[in-house]
Amino acid sequence: MGYEAVIGLEIHVQLSCTTKMFCDCPNRPGDDPNTNICPICLWLPGAVPRFSLETLEKATLACLALNCDVQPRSAFDQKVYYYPDLPKGFQLSQHHMPLARGGWIDIMDEDGKPKNLRLHHVHMEEDVAKLVHETEGRTPISLVDFNRAGTPLIEIVTEPDMRSPHDAMAFLKVLRTQLRYTGCAECSMDQGTMRCDANISLRPLGSDQLNTKVEVKNMNSIQHVGNAIAYEIKRQAESLKNNEPIMLHTRLWDPEKGITTAMRAKFEGPCVPDPAVTQILVTDEWLRKMASKLPEMPHRKVSRFVRQYGLAHDEAAQMSSERELSEYFEAVVKFGASPRTVANWIATQLLPAVKEHGHEFATSPVTARRFSGLITMLEKDEINSNSARSVLNKLFETAKSPEEIVDQFGFRQVSDTGALRGIVDQVISENMSAVENYKNGNKKSIGFLVGQAMKLSQGKANPKRLQEILRESLA
Amino acid sequence: MHESLYTYLDSSPLPASAGGALSGRSVAIQPNMSVRGWPTTAGSKALEAFTAIYDATVIARLKQAGAHIKGSIRMSELGFGLAGDTGATVLQKGDVDCLLVTDTMGEARMTACVAGDFGFKPSYGMVPRFGLIGLIPSMECFGIAAKNIKDIAGAMSVMAESDSRDLSMPAFGADLDFPRFHRVPEPREPIRSCGVVRECMDMLENDESQAFGAAMARLAGQGIRIEEVHLKDFELAREVHNVIGAVEASSSAGKYDGVRYGHRTASAKNWNDMYMNSRAESFGVLVKSYLFQGAYFQYENYNAFVDAARIRARLLAQTEAALERFDVLLLPTRRAAVDPSSAHTINTVYDVFSWTLIANITGHPAITLPHMVECGDTDLGLQLIGPRFQDERLLSIAAQLTDLDMEAHHHGL
Repeated sequence: MGYEAVIGLEIHVQLSCTTKMFCDCPNRPGDDPNTNICPICLWLPGAVPRFSLETLEKATLACLALNCDVQPRSAFDQKVYYYPDLPKGFQLSQHHMPLARGGWIDIMDEDGKPKNLRLHHVHMEEDVAKLVHETEGRTPISLVDFNRAGTPLIEIVTEPDMRSPHDAMAFLKVLRTQLRYTGCAECSMDQGTMRCDANISLRPLGSDQLNTKVEVKNMNSIQHVGNAIAYEIKRQAESLKNNEPIMLHTRLWDPEKGITTAMRAKFEGPCVPDPAVTQILVTDEWLRKMASKLPEMPHRKVSRFVRQYGLAHDEAAQMSSERELSEYFEAVVKFGASPRTVANWIATQLLPAVKEHGHEFATSPVTARRFSGLITMLEKDEINSNSARSVLNKLFETAKSPEEIVDQFGFRQVSDTGALRGIVDQVISENMSAVENYKNGNKKSIGFLVGQAMKLSQGKANPKRLQEILRESLA
Repeated sequence: MHESLYTYLDSSPLPASAGGALSGRSVAIQPNMSVRGWPTTAGSKALEAFTAIYDATVIARLKQAGAHIKGSIRMSELGFGLAGDTGATVLQKGDVDCLLVTDTMGEARMTACVAGDFGFKPSYGMVPRFGLIGLIPSMECFGIAAKNIKDIAGAMSVMAESDSRDLSMPAFGADLDFPRFHRVPEPREPIRSCGVVRECMDMLENDESQAFGAAMARLAGQGIRIEEVHLKDFELAREVHNVIGAVEASSSAGKYDGVRYGHRTASAKNWNDMYMNSRAESFGVLVKSYLFQGAYFQYENYNAFVDAARIRARLLAQTEAALERFDVLLLPTRRAAVDPSSAHTINTVYDVFSWTLIANITGHPAITLPHMVECGDTDLGLQLIGPRFQDERLLSIAAQLTDLDMEAHHHGL
């Protein structure tokens, strides 16, 4: 009998807020241990939590970007358990009344068809402290760093709509893009600012029952999520074939061995309403204000880029894959360069060059204005594409404008017929055998001759004009 | 002689009389109210040797107003119940003008009632709780016991003000002004009507009923309209307080784990051991039983908690509705047969506070007046409950009733 996988995800996303969730401590978990702490996030006796408005705003923007229904009233609950990384015996989370319900994301399935994946809800919760295990002599000791305690998270819980590792991976990619667009979150799985647990169960094809699920944790890349799910599907199918029951439990993904191993029975502590954090009431007016802060989201941007700039769908999708990139693309176009050339040069030249020079895109010295200058010269045939690549590299090294670089290094393209004819004459006289070949019908020899002429011009000749003149001379 | 009453006496020089609103007034507090540099144990081994590193908002305001904070008195563990008659004795000796008592189920009122003084619990959200080391966050607040209403009003005029560190206070984000508090309550409007809680009357013993009836008759003789009013779920209040209180206490005490501060066990093989031994050594039997109750409702019987929360909402609605018809609600403060200073089990503690805890459940302000309802040798205390955030009006009414009753006594009514 064939089986179908039923997959749901639970994703924790760290919000990029300035402060923690219930106090004014900086939200910088990576600082020196226990420097960003105060009586509230250490839960000293007498501390009263103070919910930060910035957390609510960023969480709400994220919910709106995921098409969720933000609830007029939501509230915090205490998830009760005892662990040294939890400074008060409970974690403040939203269980009974989450910030938002519903929501959806569109992905492309394996066959390239659009597929709608629903969210169950999105809630806010605080992160816990970080435990560091060391030894003192031969005694194992555990150290606690409270910098992370109380930093703001949202948890996105999906409906079990995914059927394959592909679905889950595509979901995470789209989710990441959407959330990054809002500017509320970095969503980096290897940095731990996005963490994903997967719930997986199997059922006979054609059935719509929900069977006992297994939770898999510890994947720190989208690829790992895909691999872990693929492994878990295989493992469960094997179990079913051997008539072994599937038990509700949590498993850990081992990326080295490529397997999941049983960790513990799934733990569900009690969740009781928290009496200290005020309930959150959201008005329609405030929601409209939040919605107006939402940028144009990627799927709309893609269609607009196709419509407005005549890009192919793939080009538009690539230029929209990150908000910064899309804004850069439009800025360059605004300075007058033609959109398709810009898209092509960003994708094939600029992005690799940024990486090669060790920059992040956001901090790259090749500003939209400088890049548009470069593309404009290319389009006006003032430089050829070889030179343009050289100028691009120089843009990373000096603060000069592309025009200045072209002049300083003599990159300006030679298109003048007289000058080019001189070069062509010299190449013809120095390469008689190639000329013979050409005249005898080996048309490929023209490429060699053009190459020689380019070399002679130190790469500055306009290759198109050069070829024209060469053909004329050899006719 | 102070040793048995006080756990800490401040030895720093008296604050200079700088003309602050409370200069020259003295206040005693409990060691669960944070004063920077003071031992702050909340009466528990869980916080042995803990010293507060900041002032509670209320403490900072009292200091600012020139009050002399004399010291902390002995308190029951984490404020659950009374520490015998410590508070009452401090009041009776006249050591201080004001005693701050954490009022979670009626402790400030009961302390005053035993001492024959005035005990006041403000509206929930009227006085900032920042720095109060409590047990039941949704019910507790700084309460005040004092010889006279003027001193209570004086302290309130300093303590009651919104605080950006306590967002549960209503002034935050609302268009409303924070309710102003005058140093001496102005008797702007004379009291006209009192609602006597019928369901409470049904619980009184015969002699209690007679004593209370006599007091009502005197007030009625002064031209005040006195009628019965219903709080339908009044008799469930005690269970509601117990279930919700235990659940909140169980969570609140979760922070006493010996990881960051407080008592940590000397013997532990691993951190689970450390948790269990530290906590086992930290808490006394009474608090432990209460925390167990809370854990039971959290883990095993959450539905009972949901029921309690629902009945709490009904009690709030019923109290609000009753207060639409009357200036204040009246009921006695304590039972004649119950000795507040010797309650040592959860049940006997709840027996002590069975008539006061309703105001902690609903968040209304309440005050107990002495010598008006006397039942044999026991002062039952006349308890007034007023509308939320009309604390100043409630104190004004309390002063009027006290004066009227004295007049009535004077005229032999």
